[in-house]
Amino acid sequence: MKDDLISKKELLDLTGISYGQLYRWKRKQLIPEEWFIRKSTFTGQETFFPRMLIQARIRNILNMKDDLSLDELASRLSDTEGYSEIRLSKEAIIERNIVTDIAMSAYGAAVQSKEGLYSFGQLLHLYAADTLLAKGDMSLDEGKLLLRTLEKHAGALTGKPCELYFVRKMGVALFLLAPSPAELFFDEGVRLVAKVALGDLVEQLKGRLS
Amino acid sequence: MTEEDKGIGQRPDLILNGVGSAAGGAYDKVLIDGVGKVMDSLSARLFKANGQIRVKGELETIEIEVNGIMNLEGPLRMNTMKLDGILHVDGGIAGESCVLNGLMTAKGDCELEEFRGVGGFTIEGLLNAGRMDVRLAGAGQAHEIGVETLKVRQGDQSLWNRLLGGIIPKLKPVLSAKVIEGDNLDLEYTNADVIRGNHVIIGEGCSAGLVEYRTGLTVHPGAHVGKEVKTGD
Repeated sequence: MKDDLISKKELLDLTGISYGQLYRWKRKQLIPEEWFIRKSTFTGQETFFPRMLIQARIRNILNMKDDLSLDELASRLSDTEGYSEIRLSKEAIIERNIVTDIAMSAYGAAVQSKEGLYSFGQLLHLYAADTLLAKGDMSLDEGKLLLRTLEKHAGALTGKPCELYFVRKMGVALFLLAPSPAELFFDEGVRLVAKVALGDLVEQLKGRLS
Repeated sequence: MTEEDKGIGQRPDLILNGVGSAAGGAYDKVLIDGVGKVMDSLSARLFKANGQIRVKGELETIEIEVNGIMNLEGPLRMNTMKLDGILHVDGGIAGESCVLNGLMTAKGDCELEEFRGVGGFTIEGLLNAGRMDVRLAGAGQAHEIGVETLKVRQGDQSLWNRLLGGIIPKLKPVLSAKVIEGDNLDLEYTNADVIRGNHVIIGEGCSAGLVEYRTGLTVHPGAHVGKEVKTGD
């Protein structure tokens, strides 16, 4: 669990932002209060952040901040409401490079809603499959299984932090969705191929959409 | 006490004179003179109070002006605040700007774009400000301070003030915090465990366990610094 957190100092070093910027963004609610995790260390109390989430969020802020004011950014980033309204056509998705052509042609038809449009949730599922495909961990057929899993169970976990596990045993692929933090223990023959936090995907997807 | 409705769609005003109490609610203007008590949460466009005021709930307003003593049993959200006297908040403070002349205490965090004035404060959580410029005339305390620019000076240091400060610790004009982090820190009479910043000036009367700086550090010969570390490249 330890490496899932990043200290404030390390974060500033990695991203090149300053204390002032970090605090300003907090004030403007660009970074949620819950992400500031206080922990005692040997030098006293230190602040930590969820590593993946904060890095993705800071990248998003830095990318968008030239075009938008901080207040506009705050509303853009904080509300998923704005995104839940989103309906995109297949062409728009490919054109804006949100999901690759390959993933789209393989899974698109199965995921899309009746009118041929994609909501944020559906887009997220496609994006998840696309990410795993791009890493080369998953075959195209296994992706179908993944999408079925997500479609069936992701609804039950909306709003909660959850993680997607992709494991393989003797060539058989399995997908697990578990609320995080959860620790899973497998028997010896199982290989954990990928572990993805859905929150990170949401964050990355938001970055691509805006 | 009078409450007059100004037609439908517009919020009424709340005016309290003398000793009285009122219910909470949504108002356009809230004007309290004397000893006033509001029994529930308030939201108003303008909140102006003279005397002794107690609000048993939270307060949300665009403009707030307090002369006297005010107790707020909940968080305060405002745009601009002008405070002459004592304000006690049982919660956090969030707003754009605050001009302080007196004492302010908050149980939670305090988030302000601009914080300036003369006096003292106690923030039990994080004091997060864009620009902070205070002249201390009493103790300044915060658990943690995170700012863009911070300037701390001692207020009027006359004989009487020094004498009183020696007798009553609360009146000793010193800023103390566990951690102070910011871009530009210009400090005097400050005690902190850790001070981290981009450009740091440690002035007279400071004492810090650890100072981390990125571009520049100036330390007054009289100041006490445990360890200096240059971070970054």
